[in-house]
Amino acid sequence: MGASLPPKEANLFKLIVKSYETKQYKKGLKAADAILKKFPDHGETLSMKGLTLNCMDRKPEAYELVRLGLKNDLKSHVCWHVYGLLYRSDREYREAIKCYRNALRIDPDNIEILRDLSLLQAQMRDLAGFVETRQQLLTLKPNHRMNWIGFAVSHHLNSNASKAIDILEAYEGTLEDDYPPDNERCEHGEMLLYKISLLEECGSLEKALQELRKKEFKIVDKLSYKEEEVSLLVKLNRLEEGEKLYRVLLAMNPDNYGYYEGLQKCVGLHSKIGQYSPDEIDQLDALYKSLGQQYTWSSAVKRIPLDFLEDVKFRDAADNYIRPLLTKGVPSLFSDLSPLYDHPGKADILEKLLLDLEESLKTTGGYPGRSEKEPPSTLLWTLFYLAQHYDRRGLYDIALAKIDEAMQHTPTVIDLYSVKSKILKHGGDFVAAAALADEARCMDLADRYVNSQCVKRMLQADQVPLAEKTAVLFTKDGDQHNNLHDMQCMWLVYELASGESYFRQGDLGRSLKKFLAVEKHYADITEDQFDFHSYCLRKMTLRAYIEMLRFQDRLHAHTYFRKAAVGAIRCYIKLYDSPSKSSTEEDDELAKLPASQKKKLRQKQRKAEARAKKEAEVKNEEANVGGVSKSGKRNVKPVDPDPHGEKLLQTEDPLMEAGKYLKLLQKHSSDFLETHLLSFEVNMRKQKILLALQALKQLQRLDAGNPDSHRCLVLVPIIPIQDRTLRFFHKVASRPAPTTDGEKLISGVLEAERLTFSQLQGKSLVEANTVFLEQHKAADLHLDKYVHLKEAVLVVYADSLMHRAAVAEMIFCLEPNKKGEAIKLIEESSNNLVSSNGTVREWKLKDCVTVHKLLVSSFDDQDAALRWKTRCADYFPYSTYFEGRHCSANRDSKQTHAENGSVEVPPSNGKVEKLDALKNLAI
Amino acid sequence: MVCIRKATIDDLLAMQACNLFCLPENYQMKYYFYHILSWPQLLYVAEDYGGKIVGYVLAKMEEESTECHGHITSLAVLRTHRKLGLATKLMAAAQNAMEQVFGAEYVSLHVRKSNRAAFNLYTETLGYKIHDMEAKYYADGEDAYDMRKQLKGKNQHQHQHHHHHHHHGGGCCSGEAKAE
Repeated sequence: MGASLPPKEANLFKLIVKSYETKQYKKGLKAADAILKKFPDHGETLSMKGLTLNCMDRKPEAYELVRLGLKNDLKSHVCWHVYGLLYRSDREYREAIKCYRNALRIDPDNIEILRDLSLLQAQMRDLAGFVETRQQLLTLKPNHRMNWIGFAVSHHLNSNASKAIDILEAYEGTLEDDYPPDNERCEHGEMLLYKISLLEECGSLEKALQELRKKEFKIVDKLSYKEEEVSLLVKLNRLEEGEKLYRVLLAMNPDNYGYYEGLQKCVGLHSKIGQYSPDEIDQLDALYKSLGQQYTWSSAVKRIPLDFLEDVKFRDAADNYIRPLLTKGVPSLFSDLSPLYDHPGKADILEKLLLDLEESLKTTGGYPGRSEKEPPSTLLWTLFYLAQHYDRRGLYDIALAKIDEAMQHTPTVIDLYSVKSKILKHGGDFVAAAALADEARCMDLADRYVNSQCVKRMLQADQVPLAEKTAVLFTKDGDQHNNLHDMQCMWLVYELASGESYFRQGDLGRSLKKFLAVEKHYADITEDQFDFHSYCLRKMTLRAYIEMLRFQDRLHAHTYFRKAAVGAIRCYIKLYDSPSKSSTEEDDELAKLPASQKKKLRQKQRKAEARAKKEAEVKNEEANVGGVSKSGKRNVKPVDPDPHGEKLLQTEDPLMEAGKYLKLLQKHSSDFLETHLLSFEVNMRKQKILLALQALKQLQRLDAGNPDSHRCLVLVPIIPIQDRTLRFFHKVASRPAPTTDGEKLISGVLEAERLTFSQLQGKSLVEANTVFLEQHKAADLHLDKYVHLKEAVLVVYADSLMHRAAVAEMIFCLEPNKKGEAIKLIEESSNNLVSSNGTVREWKLKDCVTVHKLLVSSFDDQDAALRWKTRCADYFPYSTYFEGRHCSANRDSKQTHAENGSVEVPPSNGKVEKLDALKNLAI
Repeated sequence: MVCIRKATIDDLLAMQACNLFCLPENYQMKYYFYHILSWPQLLYVAEDYGGKIVGYVLAKMEEESTECHGHITSLAVLRTHRKLGLATKLMAAAQNAMEQVFGAEYVSLHVRKSNRAAFNLYTETLGYKIHDMEAKYYADGEDAYDMRKQLKGKNQHQHQHHHHHHHHGGGCCSGEAKAE
């Protein structure tokens, strides 16, 4: 390095490198300038100066200098390496890899460059390249532990676990017998556990167990040791030993549900779906009774039997379980028991049980059959439970009565307000729910939990500015936008929820802004792994490292990301369907111009944009003055040039933007209906008929699957599929006859594919739609005969309302003259009772809102919409949307206009408008 | 009611969400990665019946100092899940691992002076003592108590298993890993 320089300058060059490594950039810059004074064209110095400036946030200069340096000295591996580092710093890893490869062509055995290259290969999952580079590093420096481990890990990642084992064993062979020294015991133990996990992965279970036991004294982490041992024993079907070990683990941590499950498996009493024969239930009961005597502190051992016990035994166990928790006042009791509500019989038993307790506490002051008095708070928590119980059953009247009674009993318990807020939200009164949450918040201003809960409710009520003001109370620098974003605040409460709220309010710019912010967090998290590629090889936390890489590979399948991507795509679709007024006008003007002028205008626009961008940069610079730290690096956050997402709306091709996120969804969330529904919508708009067809086929695939495999879908998937299928073939049928070869090909494919959709075989679209309706009508009447769509389970709980709505929409779409008939179909739906005690109806508020919107928009029938609204207001008295008689908007007819917040209410003319909502309601 | 178990990588996002929901001190995802990739034994979560993370403890080892000790970076339990003893169980699990795996001499933590509930938990239930007071430790200017609890440490560490080889609990203070 710096070889071509005379001694004095060569030393200065070394100083630049050292200064760069120690982050003393100013010093490095000075040294570089000293060399350049004498040798202004010295390539490596120019490069290093550029790299130094890059660290001082002077990017454009940095690139200029680095490129100039390289041009002056193309044969220098330093210049190529520096160029690679520059790209790396901008996360342009593919370019960086190219640069490193060029550097290595000049200096093939350069350890530093090889190491840097290996990190990029790991980051980019260039696994074959990674193996190759790690092999070179090991060959060059076989005496370094890290090179052995790195080579093994690279093979493991490249799906060759057995090779990785060989390498680790070869490495062990190089160690002395008394290895490791005291200060490396942890690391060595981790390496051994990693190797054993590799053996397990390869299916060499016997060998893994042998090795584990042989090396027991060298493995420091005894808990991991035992967990690994028990996992191997179970896989080897050595269940008696497994049982013993699970009991040991339970003695160490009797609150780990996984250990109980393991123990049940070992004694042959485990069912995935939780169904047991009476005999098995008795055995399980006995098992947990004995465990309960051993682990008196464990709450798990008392709770688990409620899952498998039935009838009287369940009642008695629940009674025993619930009493002390009510006495103690455990607020999570209901949420703890709520999974039992999927079993209708158990919900009924619990209801009776709790009502008996309430009755007894009110009349005698104690539990039934007990002479001791309970403290007054026991009644409070009983009412608290009952309120949540009735909320869960959809009986909001009773739920509210219970919670009000509890609040009268003791007005100072915050949890009561939170629960009342939740009940109101379920009832559809978002404004009142937010007001209640705000009351709860004011009762303890130091508790962030009630603050967050309140922010969440405010966003649900579309009170975004108020929500922001509330959230800011808990951020340090008072600038909550940046702060919440910096802390990757992707809890649904913030960025997602505000994105969704803005979307509901039609503010696409702000909505997009929030959704894309969530997307940015995921990009950052992907980036986060970079430093750990070398760190973990040193730390030897190899099992955790591999897990982290696998986690990263499926990161974009995460719920928050999926929701954000779905939100962004919806925004882009809406943007495409109804471009903002200004841009349409602009387009109109553009359209009138001749092509040459159009081009000029576009250029002008681009220039103006560039100018604006530059101005924003200058503004940033100004804002940053004074923010320069010792190292010369600026720490101040850049000013957001587009805080309201207005620029995002100016995208020329919204569907292309949507496509970017769609691709990620298709790759990572292909088992979600929504992915393919959006793919269908986007591709239909793009006129990509075959891609739309592909989306349809994916939908069919999900539909045909086992209900278990997509239980998460909850809503009956058939409706949208049927809807899209009919719409698709309807649209295709109305296309002009194919003329070109390409078009003919497409129509050939379509004709062939049409036959693969079973519901369309030999039927016209209208017929298919009728058949669909008949099936679902039949479903209402004869559930047991309902086999055709293999979705019986889902359909039983599905609203036939939604089926009817889908069919009605299709009738209208296929035969617009049958509009009246279609609407009648919807209106004839009946809201049946579903609960065994005859009080709960089957329609969901959300679905009824959907139907209302359908009547307003698709059918454009305001009379029908109004009739529907009046009917639903009766079913959902707390709904602000339907203006039910109990909702806050109706109760306070004199509305106090708050500065913030509005709620979507359909006024009587049926058009959706905004209504200022009230902030402080007297509830 | 609530399961107490070691955290996995897949829990980190939920831990971060839980932290943001209830505590004013927040960290970027990378800091959570740093913890689990350095001391995977020291992160525990409380998971409710529906699989939701309702509490966690995030802890680390101080490897620079002369005396090997652990530090609780963050502990949180959702307000809705109080009175179940979750904080105690989470802390006990992390402290045990510090002792057993790393042979920690003691464990330290910071707590806001105004946070009486947490202070009581640390002193009364968990046996921490005030070691020092750090003025203006928090970003909003509040002071912190620097609290410590003595653990068994390397030398007094009792082995749960009897076998022929005598050995110490692991050493955490291995210093800088060797450079390549």
